Amino acid sequence: MLVWTYAGKTEPQGHYGEGLKRITQSVAMNTHVEQALEILNAGEPRAVERALETLQSAVYSFGMKFCGNPEDAEDTAQETLLRLARSLKNFPDSRALAVWLYKVAKSQCLMSRRRSKFAPAHMLSLDALMPEPHEAAQAAAKPWPITPEEAVLKREFRDHLQEAVLALPKPYRLVLILRDMEQLNTKEVAEVMEISENTAKMRLHRARVFVRNALEKYFRPASKRRGRNNG
Amino acid sequence: MAERRCKRIFAALSEYLDGELPVRNCRELERHLQGCKPCLAYLETLKAATEACRRFPVGKAPRPSARVRAALLEAVRGARSD
Repeated sequence: MLVWTYAGKTEPQGHYGEGLKRITQSVAMNTHVEQALEILNAGEPRAVERALETLQSAVYSFGMKFCGNPEDAEDTAQETLLRLARSLKNFPDSRALAVWLYKVAKSQCLMSRRRSKFAPAHMLSLDALMPEPHEAAQAAAKPWPITPEEAVLKREFRDHLQEAVLALPKPYRLVLILRDMEQLNTKEVAEVMEISENTAKMRLHRARVFVRNALEKYFRPASKRRGRNNG
Repeated sequence: MAERRCKRIFAALSEYLDGELPVRNCRELERHLQGCKPCLAYLETLKAATEACRRFPVGKAPRPSARVRAALLEAVRGARSD
């Protein structure tokens, strides 16, 4: 049995990744979004206002994560929800509608007026992202000093994480946001992105590694890392 | 992480974290991790980075505009009357 050490804590780990499913488990399409769409479809008047708020919040949040600024996030929410109003009765179920909603939000983000100052246009090479042996040995010697739960409470860490996400090329950034932040499952990410599940998995892994390497620099600024991308 | 096996393990870490790696490959990966501290440490920090993404907070959204509210309420009324 493997034992995970993390910031000085140990945690028994089940075989075959079971213990990690609680971290990255596949869940249904963002549950709040689906529930809100069900309410809209059912036309329950007293609940509609709350459903509207939920959808606004979900799409705005997606826009903030992708675009990194409130103006584009607000535009994304407005345009996406206006299109939703025009298409509400064309979908047989809330899941299909949720996939469609994320597709529209994604397209809106890609058309955003203010281009990210970070985002490069190139692809990420896994070989380039892989740490050198001395870097890996150094990382193995000492875990990150604080847990992600503690880290996200720090403004400086949040800014660093957001910068790392915004530095991802768009196809990778979208997959990371949909899968890890919006918590769609792989099949849903593939549907929204209109790519195969294998491509979604490949992009997700490279995006995660890219972000992980950026956080490594935050936690261990003195270490000299390759961190280059090409391909 | 220079060995060929490390490279293969490195490519499979996210699928492993997501519980999407076939059982046979999981066995191979776990056998490798038990003897390779750098790969294990990398997996831990990859998991931590993924957790941080999942917990990434976004500020409160502004309220939907009057235009959006009107359009959606109209759409809901329309859907009900069909």
